[in-house]
Amino acid sequence: MNILEVNDLCKTYIVNKRQNNVLKNVNFSIAEGEMVAVMGPSGSGKSTLLYAVSGMDTVTAGEVSFCGKNIAKMKEMELADLRLDEMGFIFQQMYMLKNLTVLDNIILPACQSKKNNETRKETVARGEALMRKLGIIEIADNDINEVSGGQLQRACICRSMINNPKMLFADEPTGALNRTSSDEVMEELAKLNADGTTIMLVTHDVKVAARCTKVLYIVDGNIKGEYNLSRYESASQMRERERALNNWLMEMGW
Amino acid sequence: MYLTILKKDLKRKKTMNIVLLMFMILAVMFVASGLNNVVAVMNGTDYYLDKAEIGDYVVITMGDNSTGYADDILDKADCVKSYKLEGCIFGSQDNVTKADGTSLETKNTSLFHSISDVKLKLFDESNQPVTEVKRGEVKIAGKCMENNGLKIGDFIRIKLGDTELELKIAGKVKDAFMGSDFMGNTRFLLNQADYNTFLSDETIFAHYRGEVVYIETDDTAAVKAVISDIPALAFDGARTTLEMCYVMEMIAAFIILVLSVCLIIVSFVVLRFSINFTISEEYREIGVMKAIGIKNHKIRGLYIVKYLLMATVSGIIGFFASIPFGNMLIMSVSENMVLGNNAGFLINLLSAVGTAIIILLFAYSCTSKVKKLTPIDAIRSGQTGERFTRKSFLRLEKTNAKPAFFMALNDILSAPKRFMTVIVSFFICMLFVLMLVNTVATMKSPNLITTFGTESDLYITDVDGAMELMNVSDKNGVADEMNKLADKITDESMPCDVSVDIQYKYRVVTSENEFSITCAQSVNIPVGKYDYFEGTAPQSRNEIAITPQISEMMNIKIGDTVTIDFGTEKTECIVTAYFQTMNQLGELIRLHDDAPTNMSYVSAIRQYQVDFTDDPSETEIESRKEKIKELLGIEDVMNATEYCIDCVSVVPTMEAVQYLLLAITITVVILVTVLVERSFISDEYSQIALLKAIGFRNSEIIKWHSLRFGIVAFSASVLAAAASIPMTKLCITPIFGMMGATKIEFHIDPLQIFLIYPAIIFAVTIISAFLTSLCTKKIKSSDTANIE
Repeated sequence: MNILEVNDLCKTYIVNKRQNNVLKNVNFSIAEGEMVAVMGPSGSGKSTLLYAVSGMDTVTAGEVSFCGKNIAKMKEMELADLRLDEMGFIFQQMYMLKNLTVLDNIILPACQSKKNNETRKETVARGEALMRKLGIIEIADNDINEVSGGQLQRACICRSMINNPKMLFADEPTGALNRTSSDEVMEELAKLNADGTTIMLVTHDVKVAARCTKVLYIVDGNIKGEYNLSRYESASQMRERERALNNWLMEMGW
Repeated sequence: MYLTILKKDLKRKKTMNIVLLMFMILAVMFVASGLNNVVAVMNGTDYYLDKAEIGDYVVITMGDNSTGYADDILDKADCVKSYKLEGCIFGSQDNVTKADGTSLETKNTSLFHSISDVKLKLFDESNQPVTEVKRGEVKIAGKCMENNGLKIGDFIRIKLGDTELELKIAGKVKDAFMGSDFMGNTRFLLNQADYNTFLSDETIFAHYRGEVVYIETDDTAAVKAVISDIPALAFDGARTTLEMCYVMEMIAAFIILVLSVCLIIVSFVVLRFSINFTISEEYREIGVMKAIGIKNHKIRGLYIVKYLLMATVSGIIGFFASIPFGNMLIMSVSENMVLGNNAGFLINLLSAVGTAIIILLFAYSCTSKVKKLTPIDAIRSGQTGERFTRKSFLRLEKTNAKPAFFMALNDILSAPKRFMTVIVSFFICMLFVLMLVNTVATMKSPNLITTFGTESDLYITDVDGAMELMNVSDKNGVADEMNKLADKITDESMPCDVSVDIQYKYRVVTSENEFSITCAQSVNIPVGKYDYFEGTAPQSRNEIAITPQISEMMNIKIGDTVTIDFGTEKTECIVTAYFQTMNQLGELIRLHDDAPTNMSYVSAIRQYQVDFTDDPSETEIESRKEKIKELLGIEDVMNATEYCIDCVSVVPTMEAVQYLLLAITITVVILVTVLVERSFISDEYSQIALLKAIGFRNSEIIKWHSLRFGIVAFSASVLAAAASIPMTKLCITPIFGMMGATKIEFHIDPLQIFLIYPAIIFAVTIISAFLTSLCTKKIKSSDTANIE
């Protein structure tokens, strides 16, 4: 069953009275449990696509159906509720609120959610469980400027997962991390996906995309190709997956 | 290159630059108008009295034998350097009515002058000398016009004796002598021909003429002794006494002065905050510039050029804005006075230039931060990694608070320095408003009653009746009149006693000097009924009580003796007690009931005091007040509170200043809130976008931002309310002391200072923060992609 269906999606910016068609009649779908990477050259519209389908940005034309609801027609308030309760977001920069501890940053969306009927204690316990799962429980009481980039990005993943979203959107989640941290973060995302969370991410990194089940290649605002991979299971498959993906990307003009 | 970077900076950071420019304009405006007012107020009454050429000592004579004596005596006195004498006709409020016949309230005695004969310099509303009154016209001094709702062009009727004239009001006049709230007399300036018309009435010529004499001297004590020989002396006072009459105007002026200083402090605090804030905002640019090898002084120079440009623009705009703003500030006190300086707008100009220089110095000192910033700041968001400081104060995990409230409170507690500007600004402004509220509340309460006399149920002001009483042969006659009045009221089922306090002018001689002093003795009020704060009430006819002011002036204390020349006999009196009074600004002696007073020395008869003997309720007293008004045909029947307000005649001025202060506080609160909130939004752009991205609604963001200011305003209000009580006692007690009341129990209205005023400030802050934070709606969740 598709969790996200995108039909004839267009996004146009007007800059200095000149029309810039960033996305042109984009069509694709993501099934529940998939982990999809969006790749493409710089300026091809990857991030714009991610923001448009996640309801963070408005669309110029077309339909974006999330769990059967057309989010292109939703009001700002409904979109906010949708992002809070049904979606999770991870950004390239590890954005967090400066005056809160890491744990407080993680549980903040849960405290804000009207659907969350837990006591504060229960929410905290869930936040801590997530941190434990991602191996960062020791930084729970730290301020955000006291931890490393890798730890912070894993904390961002915890925050994105706190309301048990149906789908995670990630914009270059490893873009600001070193290789080790990047691998750790992708390992965690793969685990979440294995546990059933649908993920759509934008990346330039073949290593990152190789862990996904589908790769969309976008050029000049159009999906030029789609590459399906088997579910990632162990690190031993990585080299083969990367090689196959690289070959396909070369064909696409990467 | 500087100009190119500057142009780009001004364009790219438009909002922050506009915010900063506004702060600078405000600072220049506040400083320029504030300093100009400071100079004007410091010159104060001296400037006014000098400009009016009032001299060093003023004397008024009224009634029979009041003319033609003063000049003879003054001519012979060595201590008198020169004097100016002007004739007048005196009357009461019954002599003047509006064109429709309704009576005009002129409070105390009214004086009618010919403009050609007036020796004092009088000024119109634009502070130009008044030299002419056309025939058929009248110019009125003091607050009579506004108190009676009269305007230029209206007609009034003046009836003196059998002569009546209808005159057109041609203007309001500032009168240095009579114009103060304490003097409370009204001067009507007429054309010489109209004045002569009144003088041609025989009764007026014989009984209602008087003289006002302005004396130049270096020895006021000697003049005081000399003028005690002048018959029909109604008033005499040294220049210092006249200055004291403006004490309330000067208090109001000094409040404006302190307010100006506060505004200057507030503007500098806010300015420093915003310059610091904008520079810390630019760590990335500074880091990049350092990374590519630009030297510190070059980078600082770049900012200095920017601030030089802004300081110049704000200096020019602020200078022009300071002129009307300064006038508005001082208007409430300059209505009655000529306040000013001889430098014109030069002070504004110098202040504007000075402030612009200070802004530049501020900017220069703030740019010293540039030295601390390193290239790594460009990459690590301003954190070098060397000095990590803990930021979070509260724990969301440990509270049950809603996120918006939690974030608001946590922001304040985590970075209190960031909010200190707002707290300090709000606290200072609120404190002044509340101190004034406490002062006005005290003036409007019966707490001051014992400083004017004894507490009674009702007080009746009967100017005509009092004038007739002055012609009664002796004190027993006055007692008879009071008893008759009591009977008249009692006959209407309002059983009561009526009493009155009479003031006499007597020559009082100490071992060192002699003085002409006002002495008070009551009819039907035993001297023991008055309050004395030290010693015991006079027990016999040769015992007196004095005020601290008399004690200081005559250099006498309890146990000392003075000789009072009662006319019929000279009595050596011993001082037995101290008391406080605001009558005669504290210069008063209280005599024993049996002291040999004589009605020919009466200078004033105060309000009749009515004490009901059947202990009626307050509602009943109010009802009786109305009945007595009808019964006696007198409008001025007052309860104790109203009497206090009437005596402290500056309550309306103080209230006007109070509301002006409140208006300015609200303006400051709005400006500070809007400008600081705009700064915060600019600073927290990324956090707002992030919160939206993770699903926070616009309303939650607005709530978070508004609550922060709400908490700050609430804290500042509570602090100011709590501090206002001791601060009022500390600052206002000496001011009441200047008026004669050295021991005051302040009336604190908790509803006003703990609820109404804090609620006003809280509401204004919340509304301002709410409206400003509405612009966070423009920040979109997708802006997370654009965060630098």
